[in-house]
Amino acid sequence: MIAKELQEEVYNCIKCGICMNACPVYKQLHVEGAAPRGKVQLIKKIQEGKFDISEGFKNLLYTCLLCETCTVNCPSGVKIDRLFKAMRAEVLKKYKLPLLKRIMSTVLSSDQLLPFCMFWGRTLGNPLMALLPKNGKIGAISFSKLPKFNGKPLMDQYPEIISPSGKAQGRVIYFPGCANNFLFENVGNSTIKVLQRLGVEVVFPKDLKCCSLPIFLSGARQMALSNIKSNLSAFSRYDNVDAIIVDCATCGAAFKEEYVHILGEMGEDTKEAQKVKNKVMDISQYLAKFDLKKYLQPLKGRVTYHDPCHLVRSQKIKDEPRALLKQIPGLDFAEMVGADVCCGGGGTFQLDHPDISVSITKNKIQSIRNTGADTVASGCPGCRLQINGNLGNEKIRVVHPIELLAEAMGKV
Amino acid sequence: MIRPEVIQKFVSIVGKDRCKTSPEDLLTHSYDASILEFVPDAILFPVSTEEVSRIMALASAENVFVTPRGSASGLGGECLAKKGGILLSFTQMNKILEINTENRYAIVEPGIVIADFQKAVEAVNLFYPPDPGSATVASIGGAVMMNAGGMRGIKYGVTRDYLLGMEIVLPSGEVMKTGTITAKDVTGYDLTRLICGSEGTLAIATKITVRLLPKPKARRTLLAIYDDIDDAGKTVAKIVEAGIIPATMELMDKTVIKAVEEAFHLGLPLDAAALLLIDVDGDDATIERQSPLIAEFCQGQGARNVRTSSSEEENVQLWAARRAAFGCIARLRPTCLIEDATVPVNQMVKAIKKVKEICERNNVQIAVLAHAGDGNLHPLMLCDQRDKEEMARVEKAMDEFVEYAMTIGGTLSGEHGIGVNKAKYLPQQLSATSLKIQRGIKNVFDPQGILNPGSFLEVSPK
Ligand code: SF4
Ligand code: SF4
Repeated sequence: MIAKELQEEVYNCIKCGICMNACPVYKQLHVEGAAPRGKVQLIKKIQEGKFDISEGFKNLLYTCLLCETCTVNCPSGVKIDRLFKAMRAEVLKKYKLPLLKRIMSTVLSSDQLLPFCMFWGRTLGNPLMALLPKNGKIGAISFSKLPKFNGKPLMDQYPEIISPSGKAQGRVIYFPGCANNFLFENVGNSTIKVLQRLGVEVVFPKDLKCCSLPIFLSGARQMALSNIKSNLSAFSRYDNVDAIIVDCATCGAAFKEEYVHILGEMGEDTKEAQKVKNKVMDISQYLAKFDLKKYLQPLKGRVTYHDPCHLVRSQKIKDEPRALLKQIPGLDFAEMVGADVCCGGGGTFQLDHPDISVSITKNKIQSIRNTGADTVASGCPGCRLQINGNLGNEKIRVVHPIELLAEAMGKV
Repeated sequence: MIRPEVIQKFVSIVGKDRCKTSPEDLLTHSYDASILEFVPDAILFPVSTEEVSRIMALASAENVFVTPRGSASGLGGECLAKKGGILLSFTQMNKILEINTENRYAIVEPGIVIADFQKAVEAVNLFYPPDPGSATVASIGGAVMMNAGGMRGIKYGVTRDYLLGMEIVLPSGEVMKTGTITAKDVTGYDLTRLICGSEGTLAIATKITVRLLPKPKARRTLLAIYDDIDDAGKTVAKIVEAGIIPATMELMDKTVIKAVEEAFHLGLPLDAAALLLIDVDGDDATIERQSPLIAEFCQGQGARNVRTSSSEEENVQLWAARRAAFGCIARLRPTCLIEDATVPVNQMVKAIKKVKEICERNNVQIAVLAHAGDGNLHPLMLCDQRDKEEMARVEKAMDEFVEYAMTIGGTLSGEHGIGVNKAKYLPQQLSATSLKIQRGIKNVFDPQGILNPGSFLEVSPK
């Protein structure tokens, strides 16, 4: 069963229902079982032995974006998403992961498979082809909207130590995350460029693994364990660094929130994870202490910002990315309505529930459109895929805020 | 248990997807916001009047119990399948059918969430005042059946005051209209207002027409901090006596303040004994005139500090916090039972003292919240449902308090309804004749007794 302290959580739910109308999934389905309240109550029944983990329960538990909107809205402070995450691991003891997720998890948690798949996907011109059903769509996103693989993984494009331009003012470790390492190299390049420009020495360890959040959030904690430990030990090799810089909302959430909880709940030592938690910073947080004005040249156009769940709720980062964008001269910043509403991607949620996913994303796209922005910035590759994948033929660019900042800094 | 072939007939009305019988669905439809639990045999999700009508006709023919349900945010088991049977969920019948700006009314389906509806009418500069604490959860259908009140009661009244008419389905399946869309209507018995507050025992509403007001131009929130809860209570009485009518006057005691502050970090003073949250709304002139006056009353009664909110954003935050107070309190103990007895405003100070004294004597942990302007008390009794002995003490404290409220001219329930829990007290307030007439009315609407069985009328001692 799940950890003792989590078991007690279900008794703090007074069934007020405030979480329901906050839940993007419930708002589409309007069935109590899909509501956070419903799932919390089912977990209570399971804990009390009045109900067994069932196929139906499993489906409900995975009909959830893990967007944490319920948790931040629960007045009673029930750690709803923690409960769900832990419960997924329980469910997996009884049921296997579906095939597609099994492949994905195996790929992400292994050393050799990923380069192989990438090579294959690239050769065929269609990334991830090896994994795809042939109906022209992967989950909620059509093939044509999938990004191309980087020519070379980001990690292979840089030395272990990247010197700053001019005298070193600081020293950080950079964690690229799978998405940037393999798909969105421009994000990583931008982060490194900006840091260099600001006089920060960047340490880029070569043995970093997938943060594994997609693996353990699908419930496969055991499978994720070796990656978690390997990353922690890679980080611990370098002392006297100011911070561990992450430019992926999801990886940041993994290091800052999930590792400590998961290791703790699995009965593992959490000391290293605690240290790392305190060191990790999202790039937008780290840059807050710099005076960027003097480096920035004007850009044109209007930008709006979408809050990734893993930044705004998991890490409570809301103002910093906006502040970066607002500093860029010439760039018009327009806040969208419901910027912090989940985009509907939910990692692998959009694979399992493309219809629900798309209907949630539609609202997001409408919100973006209403601002009249030509660019939407968001610090999460998942949101980026989801939003870009559902924009249709519209000429709205989806970027990471750091890419705009690097653009404004001009050519190095 | 409903026979499988009867379930099949229900399925033929709503389709397989909207008839749920899986154990997961049954369990997640077995509760509301109270601690009661009743598991239904099936849940149907109708989306049209016609479907509801056919469901009820079939239920009558087969003698199957039917209990209507909105968002299940009620506090007394009113929307639970107390004797099993069909639970009729309106969460998917939730459209706004019309917002008429010329004649200022709106027609909605019962499942729409109150706050969503309020937002929609406010977008066209109209205003739907009834504002129960659970507005972000509760459905209009549920609010109508419970005659929900809420925070703006003192100035704007309750749900019933905004109902113009309904389309209802009787237990027999017959469809009927009540009321009109006009502001005045004296044609025949006022069935609209009879069904409103009937706790879903007489008929099922499928369309609801409500009256709207022009949206007030502005509002301002005052926050008065007290070192003595009595002073807060006296302030309320003074303001009411002086004929000033703010839009809301909410009282929170020390325990509530602490819990809310812990959840929302609004900078509320943790050492205060009580606070009043007062909203004034209207045109700018009214607000300019009323708010200093109210502030003066607060200070005159010993408020330590009176703060005026500086922005609409702050207003929204303060009220979101108030709305969540019930939930916040649950941070302290797992279970939280809300009392709802309402007393004349000038008796409120005494009543608060009394409830505290009763709880102390019974060793029950208590926090006090009140829609103070209407004397609508919400003593929150904190406990743990799993502790039988403690629950017995809580029940005893409730009994004593209800009895006390009756003796000073109060009512059993201001707005939460009777439901299952308070039915035993009913004869204390309603005479035998009154109960006989109420049962007679029920019998006219529902001779077979298939609609919401186990409701207050049946449970209360005969
Ligand atoms: S908001 Fe929290 S307390 Fe209320 S129903 Fe949801 S989980 Fe339970
Ligand atoms: S995490 Fe998000 S999708 Fe899942 S129950 Fe909570 S609000 Fe709904």
